[in-house]
Amino acid sequence: MKDFIRVSVGVIIAFIIYTIFNKISASLLQLFNVFSLVVIYFAVEKDEIFGACLGGFCGLIHDSFSLGVFGVAGLAKTITGFLAGYISKKIDVLPVLRNFVFIFILISIEFILWALFYSFIFSQSITGGRKLIYFQPLSTALVGSVLFLLLRRIKKESPLS
Amino acid sequence: MPLFLREKKSLTVLIALIFFHLILISIQVPLGNEQSYFEKGFFSVFSPVQHGILSFFGSIGKLWKNYFYFRNVQTQNQRMREEMFLLRQENNLLRNALQKLKSEKEVEENISKIYQNILPAQVIGLDASNLYKSATINKGSLDGIKKNMVVLDKDGNLVGRIVGPITLKEARVQLITDSESGVGVFSQINKVMGVLSGDANGLCSFNYVLVTEQGISDGEEVVTSGYDGIYPPRIKIGKIILMEDTTSLHKEIKVEPYFDFRYLDRLAVITTDLIDIF
Repeated sequence: MKDFIRVSVGVIIAFIIYTIFNKISASLLQLFNVFSLVVIYFAVEKDEIFGACLGGFCGLIHDSFSLGVFGVAGLAKTITGFLAGYISKKIDVLPVLRNFVFIFILISIEFILWALFYSFIFSQSITGGRKLIYFQPLSTALVGSVLFLLLRRIKKESPLS
Repeated sequence: MPLFLREKKSLTVLIALIFFHLILISIQVPLGNEQSYFEKGFFSVFSPVQHGILSFFGSIGKLWKNYFYFRNVQTQNQRMREEMFLLRQENNLLRNALQKLKSEKEVEENISKIYQNILPAQVIGLDASNLYKSATINKGSLDGIKKNMVVLDKDGNLVGRIVGPITLKEARVQLITDSESGVGVFSQINKVMGVLSGDANGLCSFNYVLVTEQGISDGEEVVTSGYDGIYPPRIKIGKIILMEDTTSLHKEIKVEPYFDFRYLDRLAVITTDLIDIF
């Protein structure tokens, strides 16, 4: 139950940030993949099955705010969530630099998968005049690695943990 | 549980989830532009949340402005902006109507009809995959929003039309810059006809103009023709910025829409079928 609440809070916070970014500037949406950060965080903390399920759910939220084929982002995020959980069980991804590389690779994989599905279905380029989207893995990994470090420290110092 | 069994279980779950998504994608094929119940469900659940979040932060912002700054001026300014917005829409639509309507009586009758059917709306979200595809507005079926209603920007330029899903207080607008959109158009001066569709890069393509056609030029304005049965005639769309002859039958013509993505926060939904008026 506690885990369910934590995940729900995580998804809600991601959704709030997504909504605020959407209102402030469309560029922020291209630069930061907030839902994927939630998926990676909980996939590392739990396991690959949890990551895949959460990835699918967050991807479908993303898809519901897009005109087009419903399920494309869901599919990409499902695979990302699974990989995040699976790799983190094999390698220690908690040190900051390693965490940065880990998030960067995962977001890049998700981006490539999504771009492939998107190009295949719509027969058009994913950039659509939005070159900033190419920086998404880098900027998301930077923010994500710092954020995860802070979250781990808070969790460690919290008397509830 | 042994590691190999655990991994087998994980892999089974992953394959099941991938399969689920593939089915989800496949069931949309026979539906065409219609959304699946699953998508409608997700949109119905999360768009009010998005609306609520923006309303909440908007209210905080308003509260701050109203209490600590020019409270009266703010209210007055807001009211005047609302009025100006509606008048601008009305003016633009009437200008178009006047070109066609013949008697003064007819004009009088339609003035009130148009004014009553402009519904101001706010953009609460842009498309998550491609900004140039769609936007979500804060008006829904409770406000009388229906599919295919025409959406204009604050200056009365064409932005798009309402597509599904439509919830009680939210609806999705397909922008004319979406590659799946199609608008019957003609060039303002020589009335060269064609079909306008988006290029998903923020521009539109003016399609089906023969390479032998000479009556169209760079910088010319493009307006709706009304022949598509959705958009009323003579609504301004944009201007031609590029025109090239190709080896195929048709010219390649690019149109830059007049509406600006940076100021796409306020829109006007025309809740009546303007084709009846025009």
